[in-house]
Amino acid sequence: MSNVKRYGFVIDPARCIDCRACLVACRAQWQVPTGKTRIWVHTNGVQGEYPTLSQQFVPFQCQHCTDAPCITACPTGATYRREDGLVMIDEEACIGCGLCINACPYEARFLNEEKGVAEKCNGCYTRVDRGELPACVATCVGGARLFGDLNDPESEVSKAIQSKPVTRLINDVDTQPNVFYLQPVEANNPSWPHAKEPTPAETFWQKVAVPGTKLAIGAAVLGQAIAFAKQLWGGESEFEE
Amino acid sequence: MIDYNKSPNLVTRRNFLKMAGLAAAGVAAGQMGLFKVSPAVAADGVDHLPGPLSDAVVPSLCEMCVWRCGLLAKVTDGRIVKLDGNPASSHSLGKLCARGQSGFMTTYDPDRVLFPLIRVGERGGGRFRRATWEEALDVTAEKMLAIKDQYGPEAMVFSSTHNLSQVQFENLLNGFGSPNYGTQRSLCFNAMVTAFLLTYGVEEPARNYANADYILLTGRNLMEAISTSETFHLTEAISRGAKLVVLDPRFTKTAAKAHEWIPIRPGTDLAFHLALIHVIVTEQLGDCDFVKQYTVGCEELPQAIAEYTPAWAAAITGVPAETIDRIAREFASHGHKSMAHPGWRTSNFINSFQTERAIATLNAIVGNILKPDEGCLIANGASEAAGLGKPPQPPYPRIGALRLDGVPWQYPLVPLKLGIFQNIRDAILTGQPYQAHGWFIARQNPILSIPDRPKTIEAFHKMDFIVDVDILMNDTAWYADVVLPEASYLERYDPLHVLDGKIWLRQPTIQPLGEAKSALWIYKQLGERLGLGDYFQYADEEDYIRQQLAPLGVSFEELKQNGYVELPGPAKERPAEPVFNTPSGKVEIYSAALANAGFPGFPTWDAPPEPAANEFYLLTGKVAQHTQMATQNNPYLAQVTDDPRLWLNASVAAEKSIHTGDTVLVTSPIGSAEVEALVTQAIRPDCLYLTPGFGHRSKGLRTAYNWGVSDSDLHVTYTDPVSGGQALSQTFVTVEKIPA
Amino acid sequence: MSTIHLSLAERKRLKDKTLTKHHVANILTHWFNAISWGFLLATGLAILARRVYQPVPAAWSDLLRNLFGGLAPLIKWHETWGMLWAFVLIFNVSLGFRKYFLPFGARRMMLNKDDLVWLQQYGRKLVGLKYKLPDQDDYNAGQKMFSYVVVGGVIAIILSGLIMTFSHLIPLSLRWLIQWAMPVHFTAVGLVVAGLVIHIYMGAIFPEERQAFFSMFSGKVNALYAYLHHRKWYDRYLAAERNWEAEQAAGETAGPTDDLDALLEREV
Repeated sequence: MSNVKRYGFVIDPARCIDCRACLVACRAQWQVPTGKTRIWVHTNGVQGEYPTLSQQFVPFQCQHCTDAPCITACPTGATYRREDGLVMIDEEACIGCGLCINACPYEARFLNEEKGVAEKCNGCYTRVDRGELPACVATCVGGARLFGDLNDPESEVSKAIQSKPVTRLINDVDTQPNVFYLQPVEANNPSWPHAKEPTPAETFWQKVAVPGTKLAIGAAVLGQAIAFAKQLWGGESEFEE
Repeated sequence: MIDYNKSPNLVTRRNFLKMAGLAAAGVAAGQMGLFKVSPAVAADGVDHLPGPLSDAVVPSLCEMCVWRCGLLAKVTDGRIVKLDGNPASSHSLGKLCARGQSGFMTTYDPDRVLFPLIRVGERGGGRFRRATWEEALDVTAEKMLAIKDQYGPEAMVFSSTHNLSQVQFENLLNGFGSPNYGTQRSLCFNAMVTAFLLTYGVEEPARNYANADYILLTGRNLMEAISTSETFHLTEAISRGAKLVVLDPRFTKTAAKAHEWIPIRPGTDLAFHLALIHVIVTEQLGDCDFVKQYTVGCEELPQAIAEYTPAWAAAITGVPAETIDRIAREFASHGHKSMAHPGWRTSNFINSFQTERAIATLNAIVGNILKPDEGCLIANGASEAAGLGKPPQPPYPRIGALRLDGVPWQYPLVPLKLGIFQNIRDAILTGQPYQAHGWFIARQNPILSIPDRPKTIEAFHKMDFIVDVDILMNDTAWYADVVLPEASYLERYDPLHVLDGKIWLRQPTIQPLGEAKSALWIYKQLGERLGLGDYFQYADEEDYIRQQLAPLGVSFEELKQNGYVELPGPAKERPAEPVFNTPSGKVEIYSAALANAGFPGFPTWDAPPEPAANEFYLLTGKVAQHTQMATQNNPYLAQVTDDPRLWLNASVAAEKSIHTGDTVLVTSPIGSAEVEALVTQAIRPDCLYLTPGFGHRSKGLRTAYNWGVSDSDLHVTYTDPVSGGQALSQTFVTVEKIPA
Repeated sequence: MSTIHLSLAERKRLKDKTLTKHHVANILTHWFNAISWGFLLATGLAILARRVYQPVPAAWSDLLRNLFGGLAPLIKWHETWGMLWAFVLIFNVSLGFRKYFLPFGARRMMLNKDDLVWLQQYGRKLVGLKYKLPDQDDYNAGQKMFSYVVVGGVIAIILSGLIMTFSHLIPLSLRWLIQWAMPVHFTAVGLVVAGLVIHIYMGAIFPEERQAFFSMFSGKVNALYAYLHHRKWYDRYLAAERNWEAEQAAGETAGPTDDLDALLEREV
């Protein structure tokens, strides 16, 4: 068994009762700003026509993708992945440019206006590092949220994944999310993954700024190289100056 | 002076929530409130506690509802930063629900009352002045003694809601000599408790979901009316493959988890259950020989329920006869692994008592209550007292006066401790059999909880003196003459709690904010001023608990450290044979007590009133984020609460051209309310549902003020003659769109 | 391979004579600037992590992050030094040495007709064609051109840098400012760096300009260099010297100063 941990969430919508204890736990744990949330319980509402009705509740949060677009979007690496797979935001390093927020296909991020930084589920790493479960998982009244080491076949999450067919929230984009669902999730939710366009500033940076500066510096270096070659070739006179 | 009307801080909920966010960031709760922070309070509003309470995990007990989950409070710099469930608690299982998670924000609610207040100007005018504890207690005692001298002790009404300090509250009222004790019980579970006491001899049988393969929930919305462990055990059972059938006129979140949702006509659960009993008994699907040993009335039951066929029930309930027949067979086929849940808040119709009797009978005839180890209901639980000590006290004075609630002189079968709260209110208005003059209220909000709010307010205005003990300026405090600020559950000691073989301690996790004090302290101070000092023989809260622990030889320090201790002594073995604390010692399907009181001895159909053609049933219920009317001001819960709206069925809405978000006028026989509509498929077309607990009128509650409407403005007061239970779903209303 | 013909004796005489070219203000500012650029470029490149923007190997980023104890301290250092750099620069130019820099900017950055010819001829020179350079003032056209890039770039760098440093004060509706500040910062630095490549080569390696390199330490150049590379300035310098001599000879005091160097600094 590998010693490298790979944390992931397993969520059983069948057990979610939409009580929102997780939302409050998360808010309390991280003092999430009023009007914002790091995690959700999504629902499509009551489906069907009276009296034949159904409703699914889908706990939702950052998917801690292995191929996380937010990490590639962050110019500085303030968003990064820990060795154990948790996708993190270094609040000290984040300047709140919002490129990651734009890049996330799950819309799992928001901007903390007070702090001026991006914010999202971080897997409660401070709790996890102490051996506790993330706040939402620990308090989940229905037992719908599980968290653990996917590399450990004995972990609760691995066993849950083996016990049932699992799905991940993937359609036109596959960013290899590490949140597994034990029930097919009803589609049509705006937060399910969709490909994101880069911002105009990002496009300018990539398409104009990078080639432009490369060209300028390249030309300068080339010019000086020629001059240097000439200098070597021509030698110099003491009384030139 | 504090004038809540003029408070510049009376802000909209949205703005307020921003402030609450600041509070979470560490701004002093005291400074945010309406009061000037006294020099006695530290600059950050929270004194740092010495020793183990600082930067520590402090175990205690939750009190966001009455389930009493064990909790672990994470405290940093004398401030609670997070609450977690205590895994050692059989009620919490390491989890806290949304309310429990948000609990510390009630403690840090900027609207906390942090100093004693004495009313200025007219009652209900929202103007108070800050008083010292000395003055507030002196004034209270003086007024109470004046009422006692002039009208007798019975002229003081005492009311309080289920809590751990209740034992000392009861000392106060019993020592004072008043028979008039109002609790929330008749508004909640009188029907269930009375029926199960009469049938099984137990207030409420315990549920064992591990043994349940087939679960019938009748209006028991466990996914929204959350009792953390029970809700978890139910989801476990469903996950394991148990079948869940939910009877509810509304598609609740519990219904969303059910295998079968039966939107039965309100008030007809009784007919449904009688028909189930009919099928099982007449076709002998139950374990009759076995059941006979433990029951009274089993032989006569077939005749008693002969007419209650599925076809008969179908006409009443609107549920097809085949469905009823099938469910009866399914229920019987699982035998003692089938559970018909007793319910909890069963204050629906005046026939709810009979419904509960039918549920008790249904469980008995499949034997689930008769096999303590294999069945899924348990009648004989361990005694709660469990050998705990108590400070010594003299006997109570003899009480000669009749009870204002009519128990037992008008309601012979209502258990004395349950009482009928709404009757006290009505007796205040009628002055019969005598006039009450004072009201002592603790941790209770009768203005919102008793049906017919205008009547309750009128009753308040008839009082000479009202004192209220609470932590918030809620609607009841708003009408009080003296408000005594209690320490929140995270700031105080309470008497011990015994649960599942453990003694649990509620202890302060931080020092009380402002000048808030524990109930044990307040009642003692008041008791001494009333000349009842002998009923409060403890030096302080810790001394009270030490006296409780004394006979058990348990160390208080160990209890403080872990939050609980195992009950000493050998574990009580559950008797192999079921024990029923009824007159016959058996399950009383036929109750002689009922028959003697002039009520049917067997579970019997009792037709509920029905709405007229243009009327609707007005249903109440529960949301998972709130406890009755106590938590709406919590800023964290406000963040996860759906706006309270009036549900109505889409087909009805289409007829009336009502759309979600429209304002509609709901009119009942006692009043009307304007409320936002929610058009949904998730309710019967003949029903409306109003999210309960909202519609607070106190401007001292800046989050909850004017948020939604209260069904107490619409509910008519109907009382079940057997159990005294209030019939909350028996109010019929009309609904019309208000043109924009 | 100068096109200006001087006798060897004349060259020797000129070479032994030194002229004051740089005020100490200029020298100090220049080297503070140079060190800052070194530091800020090194840390700035290490802050960029995303491969599409990162012109240096990831190892550089790793090295500096480890050196500074992580990304956040690295950014803090970059921001702090950046603000220090901007402050010193703005302070020197607008307050501390304004008597030097403001006339400097006004008089010596304007391109004149000769400069345009110089640029054209210098281009020929660089690629080995026949050329004839016109006389130049104390800063040649190339240096003047570069100064434009530098001044424009520095303003863009400071503004975009401040936006990013104080990003937490920027309201949500102006988030685009931060998003654009990043590529602007990047581009401005890139263009200045392109100029720096030439500047450093010219100043430190190119033999004809070696005098200029040392002058950035001593403030002095020899007269031969001044005569050959900055003839206009050299002529003005000599005129100022003669003027001073004449005034001394006439027995007049030269205003408040008797110090030739100070006078030259002021007047030339």
